[in-house]
Amino acid sequence: MMVLAIRPDSWNFPLLLHVGGAMLLVASITVAIVAFVQSWREADPDSSARLFRFGALTMFFAALPAFIVMRGAAQWIVSKEHLENSNVGWIGIGFGTSDLSGLILIITLILTGIALRRSRRGGGLGKLAKVGGALPLVLMVLYLVAIWAMTTKPS
Amino acid sequence: MRSGTVANVGYSTLLFLHVLGAFTLVAAVGMFVAMLLAVRRQPDTLVAQRMLPTALVLWAVGGLSALVFGIWLAIHVSQYSLTDGWILGAIVLWVIASAIGGRISAGYKNLGDGSLAQSQALVTHGLLVVSVLLLLLDMIYKPGAG
Repeated sequence: MMVLAIRPDSWNFPLLLHVGGAMLLVASITVAIVAFVQSWREADPDSSARLFRFGALTMFFAALPAFIVMRGAAQWIVSKEHLENSNVGWIGIGFGTSDLSGLILIITLILTGIALRRSRRGGGLGKLAKVGGALPLVLMVLYLVAIWAMTTKPS
Repeated sequence: MRSGTVANVGYSTLLFLHVLGAFTLVAAVGMFVAMLLAVRRQPDTLVAQRMLPTALVLWAVGGLSALVFGIWLAIHVSQYSLTDGWILGAIVLWVIASAIGGRISAGYKNLGDGSLAQSQALVTHGLLVVSVLLLLLDMIYKPGAG
C-alpha cells in the first residue's frame, strides 16, 4: 500500500511556478531544437537562416524567462521546506542540473546571437550556429535527468 | 519491507512517466503556439510546416501517456480514487484539451492551401493554453483531496 504525505497549502503556489516554469522551459527548448535541426537540414540558405533565427529568438524570449521563473521558484520552495542545507540526493541533482543548464543556456544565447548577427551581414550561419544550435540538445538531456530526480526523489 | 520497496519503485516510476507525459504534452502546446506566432509574423508558412510533424507526434504521445499513467497512478495510490473530484476534473479537462488540440492539428494539416483561419486559430490556441493551465492547477492544488 502506498501512503502519501499531503504538503501544506502554502507550498502550492511556489510549486506551481516551479513546475510551470520548468514546463515552459522544456517546451521552448523543444521548439528551438526542432527549428535548429530543420535549419541544418534545409538546403536553401535563406530558409535555413529563417529557421535558425526562429530557434535563436525562441531561446532568448521564451527559454531564458522560463529558466528564471523555474530557478527562482525552486529557491523559493526549498526555503519554504527548509531544505537549504539538505544533503538529499534529488535536491543536489536538481540544483546541479539547473545551474549547469543555466550556464549552457547563456553560452547558447551568446553563440546563437553572434551567429545571427553574422548571418544578417551576409556571412552565412557558419560553425558557431552549429555549436550554438546543438547545445539545446544537451539542455534537454539535463532536464530529463532533472525531471527523473524530481519525481523519483533518489536519496 | 520488501513489498514496501516494490510499491515505492512502482509509484516513482509511474509518477515519472506521468510527469514526463505532461511535459511532452506542454511541449506540443508550445510548438502549436510557436507555429501560430510564426504564421502570424511571416507571410509564408515555412517554420510552421517544418514543425508540424514533431508537434503532432509530441501531442499524441504526451497526451496519451499523461492520461494512461495518470489513471494508473490513481488506481495504484490508495489515497486516490478515480471518482475523486480533482481526478474527474482532470479527465474532463484532458478531453476538452484533446478536442481543441485535434481541431488545431487539423487546421495545421491544411496549411499548404492557406486555409488556416487566423482569428479562429487565435481563439482555439488560447483555449488550449487555458485548458492545459487549468490541468496543471488541478494537479498541483488537488481541490477536494484530503
